[in-house]
Amino acid sequence: MNKLKLNYTSLSFLPILVCIPLGYQLITNIHFGGFKLFQEFLISAFNPKIDNEIIFTVINRLNETIVIGFFSWLVSIIFGAIFGILSSNIFYKILNIPNFFYGIVRSFLTMVRSIHEVVWGILLMQIYGINFSVGIIAICIPYIAVNSKVFAEQLETIEYKSFESINQINAPKFSSLLTLIWNPIINTFKNFGLYRLECSIRSTVILGLFGIGGIGTSIFLSFQTLNFRELWTYLWSLAILIILSGLIFKKIKFYTTNKILSIFFIAVFFITILFSFSYFLYFIFNINFENFNSVSSLFKSSSDLGLFDFLKLISETIILSLLSTGIAISLPPLVIGIFNNNTSKIFIKIFAFLLRLIPTPVVLLTLLTFNNPSISLAALTLGLHNAGITSKLLFSNLDSQDKRNYIAMKSLGISKKTSWLLGIFSQQSKSYLAYCAYRSDIIIRETAIVGVIGSVGLGWQLQESLSSFAWQEVTIVLIAYCSIAIVGELINGKIKNSLT
Amino acid sequence: MNNTLLELKNISFKYKNNLILNKINLKINHGEKIALLGKSGSGKTTLISVLNGTIKPTQGEVKLFNKSFEELDRKQKSKITTIWQDLRLIEDLSAEQNVNCGLLAENNFYFAFKNLLNISSFKKAHKYMQLCRLHNSIFEKKIRKLSGGQKQRVAIARSLIQGSNILLADEPFNNLDPKLITTIKNLLLENVDKNNTKQSSKTALVALHRLDLLNDFDKVIGIRDGKIFFNIKRTNLKKLHLDKIY
Ligand SMILES: Nc1ncnc2c1ncn2[C@@H]1O[C@H](COP(=O)(O)OP(=O)(O)OP(=O)(O)O)[C@@H](O)[C@H]1O
Ligand SMILES: [Mg+2]
Repeated sequence: MNKLKLNYTSLSFLPILVCIPLGYQLITNIHFGGFKLFQEFLISAFNPKIDNEIIFTVINRLNETIVIGFFSWLVSIIFGAIFGILSSNIFYKILNIPNFFYGIVRSFLTMVRSIHEVVWGILLMQIYGINFSVGIIAICIPYIAVNSKVFAEQLETIEYKSFESINQINAPKFSSLLTLIWNPIINTFKNFGLYRLECSIRSTVILGLFGIGGIGTSIFLSFQTLNFRELWTYLWSLAILIILSGLIFKKIKFYTTNKILSIFFIAVFFITILFSFSYFLYFIFNINFENFNSVSSLFKSSSDLGLFDFLKLISETIILSLLSTGIAISLPPLVIGIFNNNTSKIFIKIFAFLLRLIPTPVVLLTLLTFNNPSISLAALTLGLHNAGITSKLLFSNLDSQDKRNYIAMKSLGISKKTSWLLGIFSQQSKSYLAYCAYRSDIIIRETAIVGVIGSVGLGWQLQESLSSFAWQEVTIVLIAYCSIAIVGELINGKIKNSLT
Repeated sequence: MNNTLLELKNISFKYKNNLILNKINLKINHGEKIALLGKSGSGKTTLISVLNGTIKPTQGEVKLFNKSFEELDRKQKSKITTIWQDLRLIEDLSAEQNVNCGLLAENNFYFAFKNLLNISSFKKAHKYMQLCRLHNSIFEKKIRKLSGGQKQRVAIARSLIQGSNILLADEPFNNLDPKLITTIKNLLLENVDKNNTKQSSKTALVALHRLDLLNDFDKVIGIRDGKIFFNIKRTNLKKLHLDKIY
């Protein structure tokens, strides 16, 4: 009777098995040199530095972060909409453009999307040096591609029948196009826009860790100088920013029926487009060729990177993704299931919030104080961060779930944990897994961040090759990244389809 | 003088391996009011979709003004208007915005833009909606929030506002009460008033199930299993004909 059946519920828990190899590697890699530092790091969380000077810095740095985050959001959401239209079926149908171009635009965007903003940032910083606009552009490039996918998906919901009926009116093509896409586009702005603002602020923080400016840079510097109290001041202020913005976003509602407001949005839309274009041209014509000279080496340098090394890096990256995904999938339901009472729930929620809040590089650097760099350590970091995100979703789904089955089971004398598993979680497991499949796309991309810092996989190689200006290697690494991400996206697409 | 506006020559339409329209020949002449009869699933909607160019027939030719659809420009094609059985309104737009969509063909892009922003003029749209007995209070409502009969009339107003001279209507009287049916029928066929002896210039093909409404039509076409069984003057219609198709 108690045979283990492979259903969605068990599939949600099985991936935790990754902890066996992971734990083994972590234990063999432990060193006690930095244990004190780690302790200090934890204690400082409750004792952040607060004085006039640092508050002043915090405000300045947060301002920078908000500015970079806001502008990259604005540009990426607007161009995301434009590219979303350009990569939607309806556009090609109405304008009678061959489907061939549809394929080209889509694959181009998939490629751009597959490379994480940190990678773009590192690349651009190498070429253009450090400045704000590099940060904005680095975020915008992948974000435009990501947003365009969301817009395109919404546009695919337009019914073919509406298309036929508008087509039958025989209006000018662009009038028909605009009329059909208007609502899906506006709704995507409304439902998805603010969430993306939060994302781009987080990305700004991460890029900050790599030197682009804003609160991220302060976090990194205070970490480097082991100023943990200062570090926590920055982290907590970031937390306050994120909580506050979350609260404000909940209050904001857009009324598209308000004429003045609509005109204002349209104006912002066009000004942003114009400004971005002119800035883009300015940027192109002001390339700092001194940094760029090394590109010529692309044509002569033979790479030191052997095929074997290269395959090793690729497999490391894939293993890293798999391990992290395993943690991100199974840890939240496991922890929530085991500690299934109201007090624990609050602690789990706070912990999950912290996991989301603290940028992965910081977590990884902290862990490195008592563990040698390894794939497992990088995977643990990335897995925990994403578990923070998946658990947020899981919590909100579980909280809104009908509890009657659970109560009925408990009253039958079934243990609390089993009732939770069968009465509550089992009904969520399918949609939870579908979300995790989507999340693992992102995890694959994020391997770049922990790779750079944790000395594993392609991310690390990218950093190495860039600092030695080995552009040929850089190109190979980027192509490898693209391929992994695209293959991952295809596999996840299949999984998602079978789950929905 | 050649009076034929729309012509189907030996039209067949297959969906996968099902023959849905079978060798249809049909001429629609200027000013004719044609009723299209046939039981559910006989191919009325498919025939209308072929007539307005939405569906390309597997076989045969469709001629509008003696030309194929590919040879016509946008303005000429917009001489046909369709009232769809499933209405095909844009659910997220308001009733008046939907009606204004009927004006897209004769206006430029800027008009479409203003319509969506709700800053265009709705005067003409309101006029047509009032003709369809739609009350002021529903002008600004989203289609999703309207009743079946209200939606039906919005679709009719959208079609009328196009001012096209060829009307294809697929069961336009669905969801309407008897009084509304008379009003709408007169609007569609341009029977301005009962005593008017002048023949209206509107050409119309209307698919319908209500035999009591046939009096206003000149011709009746009976279709069954995708084949035209009869195409006769209304005055010649006998019970025998109806028995064949129902
Ligand atoms: N998209 C489609 N795919 C497959 N078969 C279809 C499709 N549309 C219509 N058919 C088939 O074509 C035949 C004719 O359908 P059509 O909609 O033209 O009938 P109709 O006379 O309009 O019926 P009703 O009075 O119920 O509206 C039907 O047998 C229907 O099943
Ligand atoms: Mg029909």
